[in-house]
This record gives sequence, C-alpha cells and structure tokens, in this order.
Amino acid sequence: MARKILCVAEKPSIAKSVAQHLSGGQFNTHSIGGNAFIKNYEFDFNFSPPWGQCSVIMTSVVGHLTGLEFAQEYRKWNACAPGQLFDAPVETGVDKDKKAIAANITSQAKYARALFIWTDCDREGEHIGSEVRQAAFEGNRTIEVKRAQFSNTEREHIIRAAQNPINLDDLQVNAVAARTELDLRLGAAFTRFQTLTLQTMGGDLQDRIISYGSCQFPTLGFVVDRYFRVQKFVPEKFWSIKVMHKREDMEVTFSWRRHRLFDRASVVTMFERCLTACIAKVTKLQKKPTSKWRPLPLTTVELQKLGSMYLRIDSQRVMKIAEELYNKGWISYPRTETDTFDKGMDLKKLIEKQGQDQAWGGYALTLLRGGFKQPRGGRHNDQAHPPIHPVNYVAPSSLADDERRVYEFVVRRFLACCSEDAKGESTTVEIQYGDEAFSANGLIVLERNYLDVYPYEKWTSSQPLPKFSLNETFEPTEANVTEGETTAQGYLTEPELISLMDANGIGTDATMAEHIAKIKEREYVMTQPRAGSAQTNGTTSRGGRGGRVVRGGSSARGGGGGGGSVQQFIPTTLGVALIEGYNGIGLETSLGKPFLRKEMEIKMKEICAGTTSRNDFVHETLEQYREIFVRTQQQAGVLKAVSDCITFA
Amino acid sequence: MSNPTTQISTQLASTKGLTPSPTWLTTFLTTQRPTTPLPVLNQTACFRLLASDITTSLSTNAATCFPPDIHNANIKERKLVGPIAVQVLAVEDMSKSRWEQIEAIEALERGEGTKGREIIRVAATEEDDESGGVAKGGGPHKLALQDATGKRAYGIELKGLEGVGLGMSMGCKMVLRNVVVARGMVLLEPVTVTVLGGKIEGLHKAWKEGRKAELRAAIEAGERVV
Repeated sequence: MARKILCVAEKPSIAKSVAQHLSGGQFNTHSIGGNAFIKNYEFDFNFSPPWGQCSVIMTSVVGHLTGLEFAQEYRKWNACAPGQLFDAPVETGVDKDKKAIAANITSQAKYARALFIWTDCDREGEHIGSEVRQAAFEGNRTIEVKRAQFSNTEREHIIRAAQNPINLDDLQVNAVAARTELDLRLGAAFTRFQTLTLQTMGGDLQDRIISYGSCQFPTLGFVVDRYFRVQKFVPEKFWSIKVMHKREDMEVTFSWRRHRLFDRASVVTMFERCLTACIAKVTKLQKKPTSKWRPLPLTTVELQKLGSMYLRIDSQRVMKIAEELYNKGWISYPRTETDTFDKGMDLKKLIEKQGQDQAWGGYALTLLRGGFKQPRGGRHNDQAHPPIHPVNYVAPSSLADDERRVYEFVVRRFLACCSEDAKGESTTVEIQYGDEAFSANGLIVLERNYLDVYPYEKWTSSQPLPKFSLNETFEPTEANVTEGETTAQGYLTEPELISLMDANGIGTDATMAEHIAKIKEREYVMTQPRAGSAQTNGTTSRGGRGGRVVRGGSSARGGGGGGGSVQQFIPTTLGVALIEGYNGIGLETSLGKPFLRKEMEIKMKEICAGTTSRNDFVHETLEQYREIFVRTQQQAGVLKAVSDCITFA
Repeated sequence: MSNPTTQISTQLASTKGLTPSPTWLTTFLTTQRPTTPLPVLNQTACFRLLASDITTSLSTNAATCFPPDIHNANIKERKLVGPIAVQVLAVEDMSKSRWEQIEAIEALERGEGTKGREIIRVAATEEDDESGGVAKGGGPHKLALQDATGKRAYGIELKGLEGVGLGMSMGCKMVLRNVVVARGMVLLEPVTVTVLGGKIEGLHKAWKEGRKAELRAAIEAGERVV
C-alpha cells in the first residue's frame, strides 16, 4: 500500500511554508478545481516511526469549512417567532464557497494512510481540525488522524512538530461547538426580536438590522457606561499644601502626604498650624537603589493595547498585521495568553538573528556578550503558545510601513524582555511641619539598560536634591495653599476598552478586536481622536456571521488607523438607546453588563478542562438567556420608549 | 450601701467619661428589676446610653459640653479639658471628591457590590508605579459632632482614629479630653479622643438614605459659592 500522508493547514500561506521546510524546497504544486488559492504540494518526507519515509500531500483550508445554520424552515426572518430559535433544529453544513476545498480533502484522503492536521494551535484551530477530519472521513473511514503542535513557522520548529504529532483535543472542539451554537441561537433570537421591535418605530430604524451578540453588547456597555460618567461628571475644587525650600541654590518642593483634600476650611486650618510651628524637622532620609522593571513577555492583549497606545494602530489591524508577519514566518503565533518563556527555549539564538539590524542589531549583540538576562515570568500560561517573539530576522525596509512598525515593536519588546532592568537611585526626604508630613523625592537614573532598546517607555532623572540630614530643623522658604479642580476622565480609548474586556472576562484575547470592530461597524459607537483634531477614523471590517470569528484567508485591510492620536469611543444614539433600554428593563443581569458573558467564558474553560459537558453548558446557558428573553419581550415597551426619547429627541 | 443611681453615675463617669442625667437614670432604673446586680446594671446602662440620643440622656454641665462660642473663628487655638461627650451626626471622607463618593454609592445601588456582579471600571496597567506615595483607604474624615446640649461643631481627623470611617454608625459616641479647637474646628487625634461606639438607629438610617442627596447638594452649593 502507498505510504501517503495528507497534511492540512488552516491557511494557504502556512501550507506553503510547512511544505517548503519539510521538503527542503523540492515539491510539486498542483492546483485544485474550484478554488484558485488552495494548492496541493507534493513531496517526500521521512517521518518518525511508525510512518517512516512517506509521500506527502500538503494542502489547506481557509478558516472554517463548515457553518451552523437553522433548518431551512426557520431561516426566513418571519418564519417563526424569534423565541422559537432557542429550540429550533440546527444543522451543520459545508459553506457554499468551501465545497471545493472539502472535496479536495475528501478525495486526497482516499489514498492516504494518515491525516496530519496543521491548523493553528488554539481552540478555534482545534475545531477547524475537527471539520477537516470530518471531510477526510467522508473519503476514508479508517484514516488515522494526528495533529501537529507548533507555534511558529521557523524550520526546525516545524520539522520537530512533524516528527512529534499528538491527538486532536476533542474537549476544545466541543467548547467551540457549544459556543457556536449559543452564538447562533442567542444572536439570531435577540437580533430578530430587537430589529423587528424597533423597526416598527420607523424613521432611522426602519431598514436597519440591529444585531445582538453576547460579547458585542457588554463591549458596547463599557463604552456607554464611560460616556455617561463623562457626561454626568461635575468638577470639584480641592486644596493642597505645598512647601518649598531653597538650599544650595536649588529649590526643593515638598508635597503633602495627604495629597489633596476637598474641604477648604480644614486645609486652611492645617496650613495655619504649619505656619505657627514655623520650623520643619527632617524625620526620614532614605537613599535606596531602585529599578524600573523590564517589560513582561508579550501577550496578545498587551500587543493590542500597546499597538493602539504606542503605534496608533487599532487592535483589529494590529492583529491582522501580526498574523501576516506570522504567516510569513517572521514572528511567532500572535494569539497567546502566555507571558512566560519556557526555560528550555533558546532565546539567545533568537537574539542572534537580530544582530544584523542597523537600528537594534548593536544592542542585540551586547546582550549576547553578557548583557542577557532570562526574562521575567508573568502569571499567565495557556500551555499552547509561547509569548509573541520574533522568529526570524527580516530587513525592516522590505516591509510595508505598518508591518515594519509592528515587527519593530515585537522585536524591541523581545530584546527588552531579555535585558537587565533599568537601575537608579531614589532619595526620599520626609519632614514634619506642624502636624503635617511632607516629602520630596529625587531620582537618579544610573543604568538605562532595557530602555535603550525600548523607546516606548520613559524614565528620567529628576532635579537633584540638596543635602539634608536626619533630625535637622529648618524654616521652609515658602509654604502655601494651592487650589485645583478635578477633571473628567476622557471617553474610553481602545487600550482601556481592551483592558476592561480582559479584566471583566469579555471575549478571548483572540476575539476582542473583532467585537470592537463589530460595534463600530454596526454604528453603535463612533471613534474620534482624543486630541480633538478633525480627523475621523474610517476603519471598516469584514463581518462574520452570528458573531463567529472570521479567520484565515480574509486579508481585509482596515482603512485609516495610523492617525496621530489615540482614538476614543463615543456611543451613537442607537448604542445608548440599546444599553439604556436593556438596563431599564430591570434585569439583575442586563445584557449590557459583562456578567453573563463572563460566566460563559468560564464554562468554556471548564469544558476544555473536562469538568463540564457540552450539553449541560448549552442547556444551562440557553435557559438563563431564555428567561431574559421572555422578560425583555414582556417589557419591549421599555426598550422602545428609551429608543424613542433618545433617537427622536 | 449608697443608692444605685449615684453608683452607676459615678461608675460611668469614671470609666467612660459619660454623665447621665438624673432623669434618664431614674427612668432607666424603673425598667430594671431591683434584684439585678450592680455590675450588670452598669453594663446595661452603658449599652443603653450608647444607643441613646445624648441630648436627652446626658447632663449638661458646662465642663462636659462645648463652650457656647465654640464656632468663633477668631480664636486661633484653645484647649478644652473636658471630658466632653459627643455623638457623630455625619461623616465625610475629605480625600474623596463628592462625585467619586456618589459614583461608589450608585455602583452599590446597582448591585455591583455582590460577589460575581462586580464590574471593573479601571483596569490596572503594567506600568503602575510601585512608589504610590498616597495612602489608600481614605481619610482624613470630617465629622459633624453634637454635645449633650445639642450644640454642633465640626471635627477633623488630624491623625487616624480607629472606628472612624464612612462605614461607622451615626450616633456613635466619643469622649474628648484636652482636645484642641482651632478656628472653630475640633482637632481629633487618638490621644485626645476615645471612640466609645454605639449607634442611633433612626439617625443612622436617615443619614445613609440621605447621603447621596447630601453629596449632590454639597457639590451644587460648592459651585454656587465660588
């Protein structure tokens, strides 16, 4: 029998680079009928036992092969009451535009002894793997199924993955299947219900689809919550005491330990008692080494936040660029929660590859000549992927502008991780003046270390402090009461929104950017630059169905994004109306709040851990939402009333 | 054996610095069995006093009350020997803006204090400084104090007092000894203040329920004045 192994990757670019590495560059390329992007690469490879020398067909899918849909008779909007969608039968089918891809796998499987799945190693990739497995079974019931474990497309790493295949993790497959079903049912039921309800109000809402998604709404909820906090904010005056002393031609400002108080009379009384005391006494004098810690290894959430903050590229676009850099083999897999490098990883080898760069090459070499420090470890580990790091060197000049900036950030962050903390010396002088305590701080930066390669962070020496000695007394040169006023927080920025989603358990690191893009696309929120210049961000994104993650193949490019200031989110009247409407219904767990979704994420993890079953999870969650659905239907008036007064006010 | 009225009175004055009025004591004793041992009576009387409104339960000697001109802002500083028993009518955290406090109250009203229903609104960043400097936990507090004659004065917590905070009960009793009053404000410190505790139920309830409105009013007043 022919020793043939079928390999299937998640996207064409990965199939190609894996084929190149395994074949050593010698392979035949065949087109498949019906899809111009998918190629079958044919070559030989010597696998580990029991397979040995085999001929290989390496091909790919383009993201998900199949989709979940309601049975035919429920698909039309008016086919049934939206509430029926909680129980309506659903069916899995191969997407229309993926039929040729599935057929290719089915026919190749017929002659293969084993199937090696090369989809990305995360939950979504595991599920795509199960779809590939299904297509292969159609052609060959007895094909053996294995899965390659890899997190970047560097040559040795790929060869090692090919030699050490593992099994597909059906727990993860189940978790995704459960989520897909819930997203479909909940998304469709609430979307149809709220669209049909609000459509009757006419005007602007008449021809609009008002979609619901269990992540979208809490995400929108954060934007609306902040919006109202900013709107309702009332500034208040506060007072403080400032003490200044002149010595050795230097002016030292001591700040009040109480920082500031919102009661003028009290501050003035305290201040008077300082003046009456006349003399200040040095109660503490401390000089100690201090350091500014080098950053932690890079996770997806941090990449999205910092991309938006430092590079001014929105999270969805950062992820797209990072994914392209990964597909081309320059960086490791960009969807990871891990902020600890495995002890066994050869980091120096990765640093060495950066030695040739004009800008940071010199720095990389100093790390190799003794400056190297094992990176700090964080507390997160998804046990699947290492932190995001450069895998290979690429000359920045050969990359497009934003690609270059993202690559540069990933490299600099990595080099910073492998460096020594910045070192300095801090001096604290504390004085007692009347009943009040004050202090002055000085900082001298002694060694910049990682900061030399990581210009995104700042740490600078303060003005020098004159000499003081413990217990000495002096009469301060000047003391006064200062007045200030509180200012409102700004509207929510993208890095803040990502932090809030992360902290409140909305979405996974891999999907957050999609949810943010979705609420923009639905016109529930608008973005505007924080500084107030007249530029608007026209970022558009390609939509997925029923809140499903769009993966692979789609290389849709968001427009804009590279502006000069941080973008902030402002809800539209529709966005406000939806959140206020649901909050107004008086459910303890409003759909605009994060709790329900957070519970879902926790239960998904439980499925992956094997402690909850897929059926229990789907059933429980549907019951929870069904109750909310019924209440919402009963109180549709509240939803309408809020929209009415806001939309047409 | 001298009569229990004198005995209880002496006992409360020496251990707690509280001097119940003869009328209050007499009424109190009528509610107790004559056979009750004295130590128990003492304890019960103390407990009742702490739950009472001192404007009706304590005697009003000049030495144990605020001077009539306590508000006089022209007096830079004076010392009151006392002991002066007072009760707390209101408390405010001077380190927090009123708006911040209103937001915190509203978050509790929305049920966000319950486990599993918290919403994190400010996410910590990786770059948070370790040298924070400002002490957390709030304070100093400003208290509205009332003496046995019903006279009110503000007290400020010059140094942290145990038992004083936004979570304390209104009607809580304190005894002030050798306390400094500066420009009409009582300066509170552990060495001069003994927090006895206690609570006036009605007052506490009213304060709690009216707090949000009070804070709002204070903000508006502040805006109009300046």
